[in-house]
Amino acid sequence: MDWLERQLRGGLEEAGVELDEVDLAIIRIVNALYGPALRALDKADLSDVWPETVLDPSRPPTAR
Amino acid sequence: MTHPQDLSLRHQASHLATGELDPRELLAATLARIDERDGALNSIAASFADESARMLAQAPPGPLYGVPVAIKDMFQLPWRGPRDGSAEEHLPAGESALYRRLRDAGAVIVAVTNMHLYGAGTTGEVSAYGPVANPWDPERCGGGSSGGSAAAVGARLVGGAVGTDGGGSVRLPAAYCGITGLKPTFAATPVEGYTHAYTTMGVAGPMCRDAADTRLLAETLIDRPLPKGDGSRLRAGVVSSPFWDDLDPDVERSCRATLEASGWPVEDVTLPGAEHALIASVLRLTMESLPAIRLDQLQELDPLTRALIKYELVIPARSLMRADRVRTLLRRSAEAAFDSVDLLVWPTVPAPAPRIDNPTIELPSGLLPADVGNVRQAGFGNLCGLPGISTPVGQHPSGVPIGLQLHARWGGEALLLDAAEQIERATGRRHVDAVPVIAR
Repeated sequence: MDWLERQLRGGLEEAGVELDEVDLAIIRIVNALYGPALRALDKADLSDVWPETVLDPSRPPTAR
Repeated sequence: MTHPQDLSLRHQASHLATGELDPRELLAATLARIDERDGALNSIAASFADESARMLAQAPPGPLYGVPVAIKDMFQLPWRGPRDGSAEEHLPAGESALYRRLRDAGAVIVAVTNMHLYGAGTTGEVSAYGPVANPWDPERCGGGSSGGSAAAVGARLVGGAVGTDGGGSVRLPAAYCGITGLKPTFAATPVEGYTHAYTTMGVAGPMCRDAADTRLLAETLIDRPLPKGDGSRLRAGVVSSPFWDDLDPDVERSCRATLEASGWPVEDVTLPGAEHALIASVLRLTMESLPAIRLDQLQELDPLTRALIKYELVIPARSLMRADRVRTLLRRSAEAAFDSVDLLVWPTVPAPAPRIDNPTIELPSGLLPADVGNVRQAGFGNLCGLPGISTPVGQHPSGVPIGLQLHARWGGEALLLDAAEQIERATGRRHVDAVPVIAR
């Protein structure tokens, strides 16, 4: 069992959701597509960007 | 006489106003065309002749008096609860705010349109009502999630339809089906009676054959005038990376040629954070919709949707919080970009509509699920809350349309429509007036 399967089985068991082999096969494909982007997001330097405390997407951001 | 649904939305409205067109005859002809033409398309989830006739009988004078329109299956109607592309109602029957706006403008809702299940895809082939086909090639996807609205307009079943756009779901199917689709600024249209009223990404918008029709329907949906201006003197910004990267060569060629033909000065623009727009969009969209999904019904879903939900359930919260930082960064980047340009421009979709039986696209980097490429192009506008429009600009050698996407600053819907009209002029209207295979 690799890290992805461990993470899935652990997390889904907690939520009371079963994981079968079809799910796992599809998720491996999805993770191959989005995994690199997720890892790049985790490594990005966003230290000087704080989320807007009162997000209003109908208007420009409150500060540049 | 031509079939009245071959008239544009605005010509239907003006002919009804002058009495050249009888609203009861128009309604009957529209329902007959849906019956006759939608079989291969599957764009309509339900039509309801009695309720439409009642709506017409009670229609007040207004800008859309007697005009038949369709609406995506995400809004309450007094006679039907919305189903989100699934088999069961997600809200009870009732009066959504958009229903009231259409009713008060005199419009007649003739159909609810098919859509990608839960709004969770850009291809439209997953739905309890079966896949939505493309009017240019019924073996190809009509798009999603507002694919039924796009295909119904493209096939001339109706002159205008309402879609919703949380991750490109108006713009992407508009591009696939060769029509014009406007995603208004976030919250420009009301969410009361909308199944995804919780969203910070989605907004309802008009889908029509061209910009002038889109302007007419948008004014009703947004409930404010969108005065016509001069679209010839705008400044266009091109964001080379990532939005002009890794495109189907014919898509790129058509979009660049159109931009050149527009006559607009073009400036290269960099948007810090844009390299993370895809994953930030996917995270925000999936996390917002997860609480609405009933985990005890997971086993009833198709294998792909079920697996995606299970994957989403274990994504770390840290990633979502970082996505929200990217969102702020992108919103700041966009605001700064609009200091020097009026429009941000790139292809709506990286490749044309894929086949229904294989919804993948071929890009220079290889084969990719269409959703991944499509959300890369569209999610930026949803994260920022900006208005965006897709306008048809070409035909791919495979036979299906190509769309160009434009964004403007917050509240810039009228300017986007001016820009789309400028593109129509620059291309001699040959793409907005092109008739799809199914309508010939």
